[in-house]
Amino acid sequence: MRKQALLLLCSVLFFACKKDLAPIRGCTDNTAVNYNAYAIVDDGSCNFFSTTPFTIETPYGFPEMSIPSNNPMTVEGVSLGEKLFKDPILSRDNTQACINCHQQNFSFSDPNQYSTGIDNIQGIRNASALINIGWNTSYNWDGSSLTLEEQAFEPVSNPIEMHNDWNVVESTLNSHADYPTLFKEAFNIDYIDSNYVVMAIAQFERTLISANSKFDKYLRGETQLTASELGGYAIFNSEKGDCFHCHGSQMFMDNLFHNNGLDLEPFTDLGLGKITNNASDNAKFKTPTLRNTEFSAPYMHDGRFSTLEEVVEHYNSGGEYSLTVDPLMKKLGVGLQLTNQEKQDLVAFLKTLTDSDFITEK
Amino acid sequence: MKRIFLVITTILLVFTSCKKEEEIIEGCTDTGSVNYNTNATNDNGSCKYNLSLNFTHTINGNLLETNQMIYSNAASQNYSVQTLRYLLSDIKLHSENGTSTLLEEVHYITISDPTTFTLDIQDLNSPNYTGLSFTMGLDSLKNVTNNYLNESFFPSFSWPDFMGGGYHYMQLEGDYTTAFQGYATHTGGTGGIDFSFTKNFPISLNIANANTTVIINMEINNWYSNPNIITLTTDGIMNNANKQSLLKANGITDVFSLFYHIN
Repeated sequence: MRKQALLLLCSVLFFACKKDLAPIRGCTDNTAVNYNAYAIVDDGSCNFFSTTPFTIETPYGFPEMSIPSNNPMTVEGVSLGEKLFKDPILSRDNTQACINCHQQNFSFSDPNQYSTGIDNIQGIRNASALINIGWNTSYNWDGSSLTLEEQAFEPVSNPIEMHNDWNVVESTLNSHADYPTLFKEAFNIDYIDSNYVVMAIAQFERTLISANSKFDKYLRGETQLTASELGGYAIFNSEKGDCFHCHGSQMFMDNLFHNNGLDLEPFTDLGLGKITNNASDNAKFKTPTLRNTEFSAPYMHDGRFSTLEEVVEHYNSGGEYSLTVDPLMKKLGVGLQLTNQEKQDLVAFLKTLTDSDFITEK
Repeated sequence: MKRIFLVITTILLVFTSCKKEEEIIEGCTDTGSVNYNTNATNDNGSCKYNLSLNFTHTINGNLLETNQMIYSNAASQNYSVQTLRYLLSDIKLHSENGTSTLLEEVHYITISDPTTFTLDIQDLNSPNYTGLSFTMGLDSLKNVTNNYLNESFFPSFSWPDFMGGGYHYMQLEGDYTTAFQGYATHTGGTGGIDFSFTKNFPISLNIANANTTVIINMEINNWYSNPNIITLTTDGIMNNANKQSLLKANGITDVFSLFYHIN
């Protein structure tokens, strides 16, 4: 009994002594991201990760952009996102980047009716213009993604788009000469996970803001609109033209989905209905903003109209009846019955939403 | 000496035990409140009560079914409802002493999102109320362009500056007579006239001891019937001050009703 007690005492002393002899080494600076509160001796491992916040300036008449709390905007993240957006490295055969189908000259959209993927396969919808999408509450024509981060996952692995595998993307990026450093700087990570790839791309996409069109300058009192443009502005905002219900406010969209009477049933593309599995959503598509619409041709979810004149004529001649057609298409089959001058005025007004800075900046 | 000691001890004992009984614990003593404190001996006015508001929508007393051409209005037109969105503002409870409690400045309700049908009010200071009031739409002080940029009803509820600016009060849309004819009963202030109206419902409400739900029902058919029979047309009515005034009069009469139940 006494021997055991002695042994215990010895071992206690031994461990106590050992602890004192080997002080914990680590980063002792509590401003570093890898600060170790137990460390006594600084071993020079402190990592002072810091990013520069990227401020989104809210244009006049816009809400504050809702930015996910887990993906704050940083200069480093935006710059990395832009590089990824323009880099074909995300596609399987290294031939196609996001920007191939979302070209800046065309308001970050595709001038072709359908985009062609790396295997020469075409989809059935027109690539969306990426304008002020940080204010959207859902993405894709059918609203299938609720965040930009979620949306960015899709084209990379879609067989008719970049046809890649995210595991392959991760290993390519991790063995790349530059990307590991850039991801380290933006997110302080040592392994590039696909979640960070889409976070960077989303950050860049949130900076694609257009709010400096002739119309904005007119609102700011910096320029005048022509008589024709003002006439179009009035038609746009009257119940005669009734454009504003879906394309209202300074955002020129309503963040909602509508069937604008393009087709008779049966529908070839169910749009929102396919996502919600609700027949009353069939053939409804997300309202796009009309900002910079002059450059985002062709128009509609399937790019069926190549000019703004054709778009105006669609509404002017009334549209087709179907079960889900929007009640705001009030004069189906009859149409708006605008005069040729009124139609020209409307197109002239739409062109005041052109923001040349947006397609040339950077 | 021993006797004196005994007396002192007894007095001390009595004194301390008495003191214990008189000890005051402040808190909420109402068992029906959400923060009832079982140890509290003195009510300090901190009691809190919860209340739930429910918004329901009926046509001829039956809960609204969307996209069904099964309804008939006072003008004998068949109609369906595809869209119903509206704003109630200044939702207030009133107390007997004349004070009122603002429950919500603006509440947006859309038939496509059932989460907007309920408004849970927490931590009310009183269990007793004598009235509830709300404004249909936005009064002229609130109904200003860009006043509610960060609310979910922006941008879809914007009302163009050409027609007075601000926001729609209501968007009630569907088809009438035949499926090819769409109507849009859009109400709002137009041409500088404020068409919002306030409904004040006297109600003897005690929200203690139970989960109380107050139901505010919109009887859709009554927008078109009493006292003014309104015929649906394909024409827009946003700039039509006469129609807006008829709809306001109907709205005040019997579109809204209020009742409550205790679970």
